[in-house]
Amino acid sequence: MARLYLFAIGGTGARVLKSLTFLLAAGVKPGGRNTYEIVPVIIDPHKSNEDLKRTERLLEDYEAITKAAGVDNGFFGTRITTLKNLVSTDGRLTGSSFTCNLQQVAGKKFREYIDFSSLEPPTRALADILFSGKTINKRHDEVDLLDIEMDIGFVGNPNIGSVVLNQFKDSEEFKEIASNFNADDRIFIISSIFGGTGAAGFPIILKNIRDAMSNAAIDGKGFLQNAKIGALTVLPYFNVEKDADSPIQKSDFIAKTKAALYYYKDNVTGNQSVNTMYYIADTFSGKPYKNDPGDNGQKNSAHFIELASALAIIDFLKIPDAELETVEGSARRPVYKEFSILNDAAEITFGDFEDYTSQLIGFPLSQFALFRKYVNEQLDQSVEKEPWSLDKPLVDRQFLDDSFFRTHLSGFLSSWDDWLKEMAENRRAFAPFNTGAGLDVLVKGKTVKTGWFTPKVNYPYYNGCLNKMAKGQKYPDAEQKLLRLFFNTTAQMLTSRFGFK
Amino acid sequence: MNDFFASLYELFGIAPFYSSDMGDHLRGWDITCSDFIATPWYTYIGLIMIGITLFVYMLQYHIIDRSDWSKRRHWWMFALLAVLLNFSIAFTIPYNAVQAGEYCNQLIIGFSDCMGFAFSNALWSFLLFLIITTIPVFRQFSVNCSHTTFWKP
Repeated sequence: MARLYLFAIGGTGARVLKSLTFLLAAGVKPGGRNTYEIVPVIIDPHKSNEDLKRTERLLEDYEAITKAAGVDNGFFGTRITTLKNLVSTDGRLTGSSFTCNLQQVAGKKFREYIDFSSLEPPTRALADILFSGKTINKRHDEVDLLDIEMDIGFVGNPNIGSVVLNQFKDSEEFKEIASNFNADDRIFIISSIFGGTGAAGFPIILKNIRDAMSNAAIDGKGFLQNAKIGALTVLPYFNVEKDADSPIQKSDFIAKTKAALYYYKDNVTGNQSVNTMYYIADTFSGKPYKNDPGDNGQKNSAHFIELASALAIIDFLKIPDAELETVEGSARRPVYKEFSILNDAAEITFGDFEDYTSQLIGFPLSQFALFRKYVNEQLDQSVEKEPWSLDKPLVDRQFLDDSFFRTHLSGFLSSWDDWLKEMAENRRAFAPFNTGAGLDVLVKGKTVKTGWFTPKVNYPYYNGCLNKMAKGQKYPDAEQKLLRLFFNTTAQMLTSRFGFK
Repeated sequence: MNDFFASLYELFGIAPFYSSDMGDHLRGWDITCSDFIATPWYTYIGLIMIGITLFVYMLQYHIIDRSDWSKRRHWWMFALLAVLLNFSIAFTIPYNAVQAGEYCNQLIIGFSDCMGFAFSNALWSFLLFLIITTIPVFRQFSVNCSHTTFWKP
């Protein structure tokens, strides 16, 4: 099976990866005829970043679910694996499951990282010029840029990020990716352009991949140099609270974006390093985020733009190989893409999407929402009572107490709730579901018709559909049964009663 | 067949549920008190009892067959329906005959005999419903009630 090595850089990278994980859990299939195994590589030196930690937990739950139930059940239909799982030699990769273990920068000033005091005088003078200026540290004291402590990230300073993240080319992770990379595999890089980590990390990673031939420390150079690479750069899309003491200012977003785009013009798009480049942005002036340079953990609410960004990855995997030809590290026919919605709505529902997007995600997300709603509101009352639960393999109380359900699936579904809630409360909002309302009005814009011969869509009806679907079916184990049965049943309910095609 | 049903009902019918005169009437002892040539009520009522019980079973397990009618308490409701219907029929038929004087006048049949037979019929109906729904072979064809019995779910 071909693989997609997915580099998620910085906080935005982690949040886009989170959105992608939910799409894959809902059954959105990346790839056209090909199926892909996703290998996420999160790059963020800010280890205490809450967005990063939430995404890591989510990926761990996803991986545990697919390990137990496989990927042939509709939901969780794409394998996500860690780089560690691909490596035959134990102990070579020391980072956490999905995160690239960059040399620890925690508690270290940038001055110490570059060993400023040992530099030759001319080099030191150059470094002084390149890293002149002021910023604030995690105690909100104004300090020289060289004295920034990097355990809260690069605080919107890509010039520092580019130096620190350049260690990626010497990392064990990069060597392992190179030696495992095959001709059919693809690479996708997610970054934001208006911060520090993503803006710095994207060109560096891209350059190291395309310049693989000149890296003596790695194998598989040829495949890597001519890899099919897609990239997503997220332009400013959210607002932050005004805080004169913070180095993060909304007014800087556009200037930083322009500067980075100018750099990309020559070094990313100009030299045709990327086969498909996705730009995404939103000028909607919405609810401002708390101005947190990183010292409070940087936990930003999920945003629709991150979901739309995740669609770029799905789109990239649908592009045929022939259109992604690369020769000597240069894309033959680079393509640049954007994303739009049908209506400029402050609160987006599926009806505000173009048909293609609506079909791509509306149906699977609604399936997963129906599944989630049942687990949340009805499962406890149905277990060991309904035939679908009592037929073998049993979905009984013991199953609900096992780690598959109690830890991983419940954890994942709880994160799904948070994700939907955060997107619904954000501005611009994405709120396609009435999660607190009845089953029949769950999907906004979809009316369930009832009459003399068409029963109401409620839990008895839902149970009836589950029982009918499960009747006579053989399932290898309870884990597969739960996922496959709900996937098929929700699909049937949505097409027969909710008006989905 | 009459003997078969008679043996069933009289298994706990002769004493204490109803008298042997009632048993003779149900066997078909004719109005002239000469032979068992009148209506064989044991057979008729027995067949009706089986038919009604099967219908009630079909009603819950295969006609209604809904998730919200598949719990233990619903089983007891349908069992009660079968019991009541069979009790009513087994009471009404002999009671009407007695009231109309359409039986051998040498037999002594009273209200309590009619009640006793009705109770006996209701009991057999209950047992039959219990047996049909306990053996999985029949209910396995139900979508929503394939696990419904008197004790679960």
